[in-house]
Amino acid sequence: MPQPATRGWRILGAVCFALALAHSLSSGSAGPEGTQLAYIGPGAGFAFLGSFLTLIWALALSVVTFMTWPIRMAWKSMRRRKGMRNATVKKVIFLGLDGLDPRLTERFMAEGRLPNLAKLQEQGSFRRLRTTFPALSPVAWSTFATGVNPAKHNIFDFLNRNLKSYLPELSSSRVSGPRRTLKLGKYTIPLSRPTVDLRRKSVPFWKILGQNEVDTTVLRIPITFPPEKFNGRMLSAMCTPDLRGTQGSFSFFSTILEEATYEGGSRYPLQRSGNEVKGWLEGPDHPMIRDAEKLKIPFTLTLNGQPGQARLTIQDETHDLKVGEYTPWVHVAFSGGVGGKAHGICRFLLNETEPHVNLYATPINIDPENPALPISHPSFYSAYLAKLLGSFATVGMAEDTWALNEGAIDEKAFLHQAYLIHEEREKMFFNSLDRLNAGVAACVFDASDRIQHMFFRYLEGRAEGPFADTIPEMYERMDALVGRAQKYVDDDTVFFVLSDHGFGSFRRGVNLNTWFYENGYLALKEGATTAGPYFKNVDWSRTKAYTMGLAGVYLNIKGREAQGIVNPGEEAQALKKEIIEKLSGYPDEELGDIAIRQVYSTGRLYRGPYLAEAPDLIVGYNEGYRTSWDAAQGKLSETVINDNSKAWSGDHSVDPLLVPGVLFCNRKIDAENPGLEDMAPTALALFGIETPAYMEGKPIFQFAGSAT
Amino acid sequence: MNGSGGIILSRSNIKLSKDLFARVKKCADVAGYSSAQEFVEHVLEKELSKIEEAGSDEEILEKLKGLGYLE
Repeated sequence: MPQPATRGWRILGAVCFALALAHSLSSGSAGPEGTQLAYIGPGAGFAFLGSFLTLIWALALSVVTFMTWPIRMAWKSMRRRKGMRNATVKKVIFLGLDGLDPRLTERFMAEGRLPNLAKLQEQGSFRRLRTTFPALSPVAWSTFATGVNPAKHNIFDFLNRNLKSYLPELSSSRVSGPRRTLKLGKYTIPLSRPTVDLRRKSVPFWKILGQNEVDTTVLRIPITFPPEKFNGRMLSAMCTPDLRGTQGSFSFFSTILEEATYEGGSRYPLQRSGNEVKGWLEGPDHPMIRDAEKLKIPFTLTLNGQPGQARLTIQDETHDLKVGEYTPWVHVAFSGGVGGKAHGICRFLLNETEPHVNLYATPINIDPENPALPISHPSFYSAYLAKLLGSFATVGMAEDTWALNEGAIDEKAFLHQAYLIHEEREKMFFNSLDRLNAGVAACVFDASDRIQHMFFRYLEGRAEGPFADTIPEMYERMDALVGRAQKYVDDDTVFFVLSDHGFGSFRRGVNLNTWFYENGYLALKEGATTAGPYFKNVDWSRTKAYTMGLAGVYLNIKGREAQGIVNPGEEAQALKKEIIEKLSGYPDEELGDIAIRQVYSTGRLYRGPYLAEAPDLIVGYNEGYRTSWDAAQGKLSETVINDNSKAWSGDHSVDPLLVPGVLFCNRKIDAENPGLEDMAPTALALFGIETPAYMEGKPIFQFAGSAT
Repeated sequence: MNGSGGIILSRSNIKLSKDLFARVKKCADVAGYSSAQEFVEHVLEKELSKIEEAGSDEEILEKLKGLGYLE
């Protein structure tokens, strides 16, 4: 714990920094949101804008801001009082624990391992919380935020299919390079700004709270990249890219010169000469030369003769490494010459020094102190948090599950990484609670989801090792977090602990593309024996149905898909009915089990203006099953059902009726069967704000003059 | 930043007749949009997607790398 005086100086420093940065970023040359936008992503570069004039302007505005501070504070305070006029509470706290499963929660509560959650249940309520179709975090948290079903917020999966190319796209955001460029020889000079679009539609409840002058802080709620402007503070989460523009690519460095490909990262050589080992960290594409090599930063490892130890030197930083210990966040800046610099942070982990040197680096996260893309609102909020609390992971799914899946790190290192990120999140959350006098603080923690994904095999006894208690211990740790948060809860506070979905085992993968192929719904190009990846060899002119992503089946509809052959209307309806009948109750004959419980038509599940973007069917897999890794990528397998042998052994991409989330509250909940869509109207109602007509959820409390 | 979330890098106002706006507003409410602006943007995006070219296949797929749920 920092000493009070030290902490005070740090807060003052952070505030001063934030003021200066706010104005340097809010100047006209820095974009409408005040963010120095850069394009980071495959195939294009980053454009960095700034000038001496901007700095002068920023300093002048900082002075004006400082001088007018008392007036602005008084005005703000008056507006806040007005905002709280109809409120029935003073504070609302949402503590989101992604993937916390009600059955496991009940089991561990019965064993006395979760005293704080048990106390919360006793004091108020514990309900199972209805999740969305499908039970996936992007979909579920979007419904939590907006109070509407997926056909009104447009998030149906992690992926959308492109109607022209049939390729998958990230469903939540779209980062595109500058639309106008000037080509000068090998250089491509950006003449306009890159664009970052949020594809989630409708309006999150915190924006409505802000319009009503209710102070709100939103931390790491999924599908908030890019950050939306609103009257409050927000830090982006799931689907925020890394500095390479991917969803998180690790680097593995080794003196063993062997060819190896990783799905979730890349392998790079290390050159050893005596006690010195040299390598380079690969970053984003060159900002102005399209086909140039990626930007790189050289680094040196110096071996000091002690086994398991080395000294890392990279740019201005030096760190002493020990096998099994992560470095703190290392700041790196990739220079694109006149194109500017892209700032990132990563942690290194020394795996081995003898006989070979092996080094792992996390994905290069966007540096919150100097973000290459907007990751918070206001744009300086991420820098404020980093200055005050230390640097933190910013990539959407920050816990590196692929590095564990592919053996670049082991279970212990993964757990350590997940809890380092969790601790960063706790600091932010408690910072938001410390400053919450009246209004809302909401934060989602991801470790609960990621640890269950990677350690479920131990919980079930399918894998051996010292990790059988890892998931129960994680639940205990989340319970302890709940206990600490409860200290901020008084009679005027409503405290929610909730999850977006539950969890189960992932033992067997179902490849519906293989089933479609074997049953004549999907055809391959002449001479091809396999479909993918990403349907490369699929003959769309003879294909009626396919699956992509984690839960959806799409029909190849004429006039909708570029090469559609199924007529909309009666033919499409008949095809849907046929597939539903054939796949509902689909057996796993090898194990004598049911692989698919039910197939749902989205036409019956959803209602809203984005229905045409939805999959046509949602597959409700039985517990223990999920879409296979191959099927999600548009590949065929030898058999329809295969064993899942990856460390990723728990999942929730099953029939949503099997995996509701949890909802704990310190007050009695009146609704018998609350759902995620009810949480936004509830938050509004607690502050006396009427539920907008387009929202489908209802407040879960009985308010005077209202019905639940 | 617009009503439905994208960052507007240059803002422009487009005028609609009173009558058209009233129809837009009514349809937006019936269809379940949160606002008339969201409705107009959706209609425009749908039309633009028919005309605009997608990025290269490699770029699109590279962006998905590292998403834990997908191989």
